[in-house]
Amino acid sequence: MTWWRSVHLVAIRELRERAASRAFQVSTAFTLVVVIGGLAAAATLGGDDEQVFTVGGVAAPRPGIVAAIELGSEARVEYTDFATAAELREAMLDGDPAIGVVGSDTVLSGPETSPELLALTTAAVAAAGLDERAMALGLSSTDVQELLGGGVRVEEVTDASDDEGRSFIAFVGAILLFVSILTYGQWILIGVVEEKSSRVVEVVLGAVPAPHLLAGKVLGIGALGLAQLLLVLVIGLAGARSLDRVGLPELDAAAVAIITFWFILGFAFYATGFAVTGSLVSRQEEAQNASFPLTMVMTASYFVAATALDGSDNAVLRILSLVPPFSPITMPVRQAGGDAALWEIAISVILMVVATLALLRIGGRIYSGGLLKTGGKVSLREAFRSAETG
Amino acid sequence: MLRFESISKRYGDIQALDGASFSVPRGALLGFLGPNGAGKTTAMRTVFGLVRPDAGSVTWGGAPITPAMRLDFGYMPEQRGLYPRMRIAKQLAFFGQLHGLAKQEATRAAHDWLERFGLSDRTGDRLEDLSHGNQQRVQLAAALVHQPALLVLDEPFSGLDPLGVASMTDVLRDQASGGTAVVFSSHQLDLVEDICDSVVVIHRGAIVLDGLVVELRTASPHRYVEIDADNPNRDWYESIDGVQLVDPGPPLTLRVPAHLDPKMVLASAVGDGDLRHFAFSPPSLSQVFREAVGQ
Repeated sequence: MTWWRSVHLVAIRELRERAASRAFQVSTAFTLVVVIGGLAAAATLGGDDEQVFTVGGVAAPRPGIVAAIELGSEARVEYTDFATAAELREAMLDGDPAIGVVGSDTVLSGPETSPELLALTTAAVAAAGLDERAMALGLSSTDVQELLGGGVRVEEVTDASDDEGRSFIAFVGAILLFVSILTYGQWILIGVVEEKSSRVVEVVLGAVPAPHLLAGKVLGIGALGLAQLLLVLVIGLAGARSLDRVGLPELDAAAVAIITFWFILGFAFYATGFAVTGSLVSRQEEAQNASFPLTMVMTASYFVAATALDGSDNAVLRILSLVPPFSPITMPVRQAGGDAALWEIAISVILMVVATLALLRIGGRIYSGGLLKTGGKVSLREAFRSAETG
Repeated sequence: MLRFESISKRYGDIQALDGASFSVPRGALLGFLGPNGAGKTTAMRTVFGLVRPDAGSVTWGGAPITPAMRLDFGYMPEQRGLYPRMRIAKQLAFFGQLHGLAKQEATRAAHDWLERFGLSDRTGDRLEDLSHGNQQRVQLAAALVHQPALLVLDEPFSGLDPLGVASMTDVLRDQASGGTAVVFSSHQLDLVEDICDSVVVIHRGAIVLDGLVVELRTASPHRYVEIDADNPNRDWYESIDGVQLVDPGPPLTLRVPAHLDPKMVLASAVGDGDLRHFAFSPPSLSQVFREAVGQ
C-alpha cells in the first residue's frame, strides 16, 4: 500500500503544519468566542423573557398562592405583604403589585392585572382555601401541591415538520457547514497555490504522484476542519443543554451526526474544486478571483438553505437539496428539520458521491496538469491536456 | 544506470527535445551542458514524470521508470522551492519519509545533513528565515536526505559564490564516489570542465557531444596557440597552413590544425626575440562546444 503511505504522510504534514499555524489558532478561538458569545447572549435574552407576576397580600395564605400561580404559569411570583387593604389598593394603583389578595377570599384586580393573572390568582385563592383546610387536617404544603397539580400530566402537542426549534438548529447547521467548508476550502486553495508558487511542488511530485498529493491534502485539512467543527458542535451542544431551562432549542446528537456527515461529503467535493482552482493559478492574488464560481455556488446554497428558517419546505429548496453540489448545505437543513423523505436523502447522497468521484477523476487530472504550468492563469483545457502520467 | 533513449518533446512550435540519447552510470559525475533553452531541464524533468516525452523512453537499470523507482532518486529542480514556513529539520525529515525512510531514520538523516552544512543551530528555524545561501544548502539536503541512487540537479551552481561552488563540488564528488549516479546541468561550461570527467552537451534538443572531457578536447581537429613574445615580424603566422587568428592579444591566440608540431610553431613565433608565454593546447570545453554547434 505505497499509495496510502504517501497520502498519509502528506495528510499528516498538512494537519500538523496547519494546526500549528497562527491562522488555525485564531480561527478556532474566534469561532469558539462566537459560539460561546451566542449562547451567552441567548441565555441573557432568555432571562429577560422570564415573566414575573407581582402579588400583594393582606393576611393572605402566601405559600399556597405563590405555589399555585407558579404551578399554573411559567412565571415567577414576587409576593409582598401589606399591613392594610388600603395600602395595598394604593400600591396597586401605582402598578406594583399587579394584583392583590385580602384574606383568604378576596382578590383585588387593578390597572396592571392581566386576565391570565386574574384567573390564576382567583384559582389560587380558591385552592388556598383548600390548602388551609388541608393543613388543618395535617397535610403538609408539599402534599397540597401534589394534590393541586402533581397528578396531572401536561403534554405539549407539536408538529415535527413545523418545529421552530428544529428549523433554528437546522439553520445554525447550515451556517456551520457553509462557514466550515468555505474556510477549509480556502485553506486548500491557499495551500495549493503556495506549493505551486514556491515551486516545492516539483520536489514533492518527484516522489508523490499528483493524485496522492491531492488526496493527502484534502484528507489532512479536512480532518482538521472536522475536528474544529466537532469542537464547536460539542461545545454548542453542552452549552445549549446547560441553558435548556431558558428554552434554547436542544442541539441533539442526530443533528450533530447529520452536520458531520454532510460536512464530509461537501468538503470532499469543494476541497477538490478549490485544489483544482489553485492548481490553475500562479499567485495568491489570482486565487480569490479564480475561486469565485465555487464560492458563488456555496453562497447560493446557503441562501436557499436560509429560506427554511421559517419552517417552510419550499420547492427550490426541495429540488436543490437533491442536486450536487448544492445538496451538502441544503439537504442537511431539510433533514434536520425533519422535512426530507428517506428516498430524497438517499438520492441526494448518491448523486453527491457520484459527483465527487467524477470531480476527483477529472479534477485530479487538471490538478496534475495545472500544477507544473507556471506563469499566469492556465486554462482548464490546457491543464487537462498537458496532464502527465506515470 | 539512467538511460535516455531517443527522447523527443515538442511544445507548440518549439522542439525541446529531438531524439536525445545518453546514459548516466552509477558512480559517474556527469555534466549535462548546453546553452539556455537547449532542453536540459525538459530532459531532467522526464526522469521524474514531470514531463512526458512524445517519443523515446527513460529507463533506470534497463526498465522504464516507475513511481516506486523514483523514491530512490533525488531531485533539485532549477526553480528552487521548499515549504517556506516549515521548520527545516522537520521539512527534510518529511522529504526523507516521502522517499521511503522510516520516521526516525529520516529525522536522523535530516540532522546529519544540516550538521554537515553547518546548520546544526538552525534546525528549528523556518526556511524563509534563512539566508539565500543557506536555503540553497537545505534544498540540496532535501535531494540527498534519503541517500538516493540517482541524483539529478538542475543548475546546482547557479547563484553560488566560489566557496559555495567548492562545497557543492565536494558534495557531488562524494556522492558519485559512493556509487550514486550523479547528473547535473549547467550552462557554465568552463566551470564544469574542472569538475567532471565526462560531459554530455545538448543543443536544440539533440546531443552534440558525449564523452570524457579529455577525449572530447583532444579529438578536436584544432589546437589553440597562445604566445606572448617579442617578434619584429608581426605576420609570422600567416604562412601556417589552416591558421586562424582568434585574438591579437597579448597574448596572441591562434587556432591551428591539430597535426602541427608545437616546436615548429614556437620556433617561427619567437625568432630572435624574448618569450614570455607559450601554450599549445587542445580547445577548452566551451571552444569544443562552439565548434560542435558551429558558432
